[in-house]
This record gives sequence, C-alpha cells and structure tokens, in this order.
Amino acid sequence: MIQTGITKLDDYLMGGIPDGKSLVYYSHPGVEGNVFGMQTLYHNLAEGKKCVFVASSSDPSMIKDMFKEFGWDLDAYDENLIVVDAYSGLVGATSNEKYVVENPESIDLLNESIEKVMEELDENSTIMFESLSTIMDLCGEKETIDAVKNWNLHGMLYEHVLIYNFTAWPYDSKTLDLIKHELFDAVITVGGIAERVIYGQYFGVLKTEWSDIELKSMLFRVLRPGGIRIYIPKIVVTGPYNAGKSTFVHALSTRAVSVDRIGTTVALDHGHVDHKGFSADIFGTPGQERFDPIIKMLSGEAMGIFLVVDSTNTKDFVRAKQMLEITKAYGLPLVVIANKQDQSGALKPEEIRSHFNIPENVQIMPTVADKGEGVFEAFEALVNKITEVV
Amino acid sequence: MSGYSLGIEKIDELIGEIRSGSNIMMIGPPMSGKDDIINTIIYNGIKDENSVIFVSTREPGERVLEWFKQNDQDTFDAHIGIVDCVTKTLGMVASDTEYIKRASSPVDLTGIGVKISQFFEEFLMKKNIPNTRLCINSLSTILMYSNIQTVFRFLHVFTGRVKSANALGIYVVEDEMHDPQTIATLKQLFDGMIEIKSNGDGFAMRIVGFTPKPTPWFNYEIDGMNIILQESE
Repeated sequence: MIQTGITKLDDYLMGGIPDGKSLVYYSHPGVEGNVFGMQTLYHNLAEGKKCVFVASSSDPSMIKDMFKEFGWDLDAYDENLIVVDAYSGLVGATSNEKYVVENPESIDLLNESIEKVMEELDENSTIMFESLSTIMDLCGEKETIDAVKNWNLHGMLYEHVLIYNFTAWPYDSKTLDLIKHELFDAVITVGGIAERVIYGQYFGVLKTEWSDIELKSMLFRVLRPGGIRIYIPKIVVTGPYNAGKSTFVHALSTRAVSVDRIGTTVALDHGHVDHKGFSADIFGTPGQERFDPIIKMLSGEAMGIFLVVDSTNTKDFVRAKQMLEITKAYGLPLVVIANKQDQSGALKPEEIRSHFNIPENVQIMPTVADKGEGVFEAFEALVNKITEVV
Repeated sequence: MSGYSLGIEKIDELIGEIRSGSNIMMIGPPMSGKDDIINTIIYNGIKDENSVIFVSTREPGERVLEWFKQNDQDTFDAHIGIVDCVTKTLGMVASDTEYIKRASSPVDLTGIGVKISQFFEEFLMKKNIPNTRLCINSLSTILMYSNIQTVFRFLHVFTGRVKSANALGIYVVEDEMHDPQTIATLKQLFDGMIEIKSNGDGFAMRIVGFTPKPTPWFNYEIDGMNIILQESE
C-alpha cells in the first residue's frame, strides 16, 4: 500500500492506495487538481519508492522546477525517479529521457512505452500521469479509455499503483461517466466553489473500491511552498471573561491580531494557523456579557468550537455553558480547553468534566496558553473531530 | 454593472458600450498590427480601472510588460496579470512574479486554466475590481499544439467563466492559418468579432455582432497607444 501524502485523504482511503490499484484525481477546470498527483509522487519518492512521471504537457527538464515551487526538492531522488517523455515529440525537441514517446499523438507508441516501463520496474512502484486529459486530447477519447484499461490491468499484474491527474473538460458525457464511475478503483473529485469566480477549492472521495466510507468533502488551499493544506475557514474560540481566549489564539497562530481595550478583547481576535497539513482561520470572541450580540455574529458558519475555561475558577463554568448556547454550537465539533493548568487550585480535565457535566465524546484538553503548552494538541484534537470519517 | 469600451474612438461611438460578459474574437492577417490593437484595448481597460488577464503564447511575460513600460510607465502598477505560456516552453527557468504566472506550455491547458482562475479570484474577490478583461493572444498558437475539439472545450469553459464573471473576453486568431471549418467552429463561442483585412497598402477593421449590421470598414494607423481610423470606401 502507498500513501497519497495528503492530510486526511489517506484516512478517508482507509490508509492509502493498495498495490495494484488505480486512482484518479478528477478535477474541474481551473482548480489546482494537478498538485494532488505531484504531492502523491513526491511523498512516495521521499518514502524511498520508485516513481514514474508520465510527462504529457511539460518539458521534462522543467519537472524539478515545477516541484520546487512547492518546496519539494527532487535532486535527492534522481535514482528513483523515471520520466516517460510524452511531450518533447510534440514540440519537436530532443529528449534525454530513457523512455521517449516519439509521437505523443500515437496511443500505440505511448502504450508501448508505458507497458515497457511497467515491466522493467521493480514491483510496487508508483506511476503518475501528469495529465490524462492531455493524452485524451492528443490521442482521442475512446483510444485513451482503451489504453487506460490496459494500463490498469498491467498495474494490477505488476502490483504498481497508478495515479492519474485528469481535468474534466466538457468531454462526451459517456467518457466522463466512465472516468467517474468505472475505469478506476478510486476517484477523488477536486472542485471549486464559485460565485462569479472560483474562490474556494475542495476535494472529496467519490468512490473507493476497497472501502465503503461515506463521501466527505474538505476545503483545501495550496501553499507555495507547502502543497495541499486542509482549509478550515472558521473555528470559533469562546469562553468566559479572562479565561485566556486571546492568549490561546495568539499561542496557536502564525499571525494574529486582536481588537482590544485595556487588555481585554472588545470585538474579536483573529489568527491564522498552519499546522501539520491543516490551515485554519480562528476567531476569538469577547467574554463579557455586554458583548454577547457580537458572539452570535462571530460564530455563524463556524466549523468547530474551542470553549476556553479557567480551570481555577469554577464559578465561570455556568457562564461558559451559557456562551455555548449563544454560539448555537450544539452539534458542532467541540473541544473544551482547560486553561491555566499551571496555577494552584486548577481542576484536572476529568474534574472539569464532572463539574461541568460534559459528555464523554467531548474532549477536554489541558493547556497553559501563555506558555504555549498543549495548544497544538488541542488544535489537532479539534481538526480531527471536524475532519473525521463518519 | 457597467459595460466595456475598446478605446478606439469611432468604433466605440458606433457600437456603444459592450455588454459585460461578452466574448469577442479578433481575426486578421499576419502583421496587421493585432498585437498593438490588443495592447491598446488592454491599455484602455487599465485606464478605465479594469483589471486585465493576458494569456501570452508568443512572447514571454516580461516582454509584454516591457511594452507597457515603454508606452506609459504610469499605468504600470495597474492590475495586470500575465499567464506566460512561452518561458517554460523555451526551457528557461523562471519563477512566478506578482504580475506573471507561468504555464508549462501551450499544450498545458489545465495549467493555463488554473492560472486564469487564480487571477480572476485575485482581481474580483481579493482586490474587488468589478471589471476584468481576459485577452488570449493567440488562439492560433494554442491551435498549433492542440486540435480544434480540445481548444473548443477549453474555450467553452472559459467563455462561460467570462460571462459569469461579467468580464470581457478578447481572443486573437491569425487569419489564413486555419481552415474555414475551424474558424466556423470557433465563431459559435463568441458574441462578436473584430475583423481585420488588408486593404491596398494598409489594413482595415470593422466590428461584427454588436450592431444590427456590421460597422463600416475603417482604414487604420497605429500611433503608439492610439488607433487612428479613417472610413474606407
């Protein structure tokens, strides 16, 4: 089995892609689906696996630079990276690669090269097609579909994993249906959220042959360097006055701002977190009752809630519960932050659970926000909750 | 939502404002000054506080910017985004800049599409500029590497995006390079055309599709940023 190297996607695929299977990243035009195949290839090179890059729309001499844009240095993996050059012939350039398709518009020649490389490779290698749609454009839809069937069979025979990047231009609807539902063992859709223009991107598992998980879609962003990050547009941090919400937001964030007066938040805190393949925007609410209307406004469309409490102050717990109601957070993923654990008289998380009557399925994470202790563990707990497979 | 004008005086008067979401093909013989005309249309867009996405298949991004610098430095910090399909094809290493994003090659329609979408997002959503012009110079280069069905599919998607973004799309096609069927196929995608023909010693242009009848042919001369028209016989 190989991993895709994309945060959460391997969980959704029940660990990754088994040997001999095929997977297509099925992207809508204009979204960055091509990065998915690249990230999977790089991840496997870094794992010491042999990988093949089938170049159909880029000059092979440019491949390393394409990866470098994301901070992925291929120089160390020269021995394990094989390129099938199905591009140079198209622009009349000479090629230095071992596997060259003289005429990339001939599916037979391409087929020959792919079969050859699969036979000559060690078992369990990863073969990544830079652009199946370009192959289809050059060689024809029907011809390409027949070839893909053959490649997938070969992949199964030699236990290679085949990864395809595909852009869903308006091809014949039968072709698109075949690609979405029949040709591949797994289909990951990569789409865009549009209103006048595309302003957000998501991916989701449309099908996997080896598991029957429920379809789940995740927003993502592409960082340069960095690659694909799961994007969580809104996590709300709420809790009573002086529980340490702003400190918590600042401790987590790579950059943060607060709107405050005499040391207390009067409007909001905003921070951005990049951590372990996740990218999230965090909004902290004020704690005082007179700002309750703001809390309601801030918490609309949140994907998860941190409820910060001062572990030394049991009186606050009533107010904390009231604030949860204001955020209308019931049903949303919730993590309780038991802050100020270093102070005397601080209740342990389990004591807070019984005082507060918190159900077992809500995690309570101990933190010392002003020293940054426990904050990232709490973040991981919440994003795992938000993105968990149902 | 306001419409668009080309910035070519007499023609703008005749056809009025071009409705947002329109897609126009500019077709003419080689060396008839199409590059200058498209640059002028872009330049006027920038003057109207439009943003401009320019897909260049013939000149590296830096060369395109150079033209604007030479002609009017002041407009240079304008909102222009160039999708450069040339530099990487020539095997040159160059990273993206604020104004230039580079696609792998003119074959890389997926990459070109991604970069166009990114500029659309940047201009409309992040910078809040309501009017954008998308110019592709030229479709003929793209057609050298991909067949007409492929280019049609690509344009089908992006003329649609121009419509939903209320932008203006202008696409340059070399006359005499393609068979009539190719041109007829492409025409289905556009709301109008800027036609250019040779006319004795010089060239003439007219606009089709925005008025009940095509505009008259105008002989033209190019003087820096200005296109000077005279009505021809």
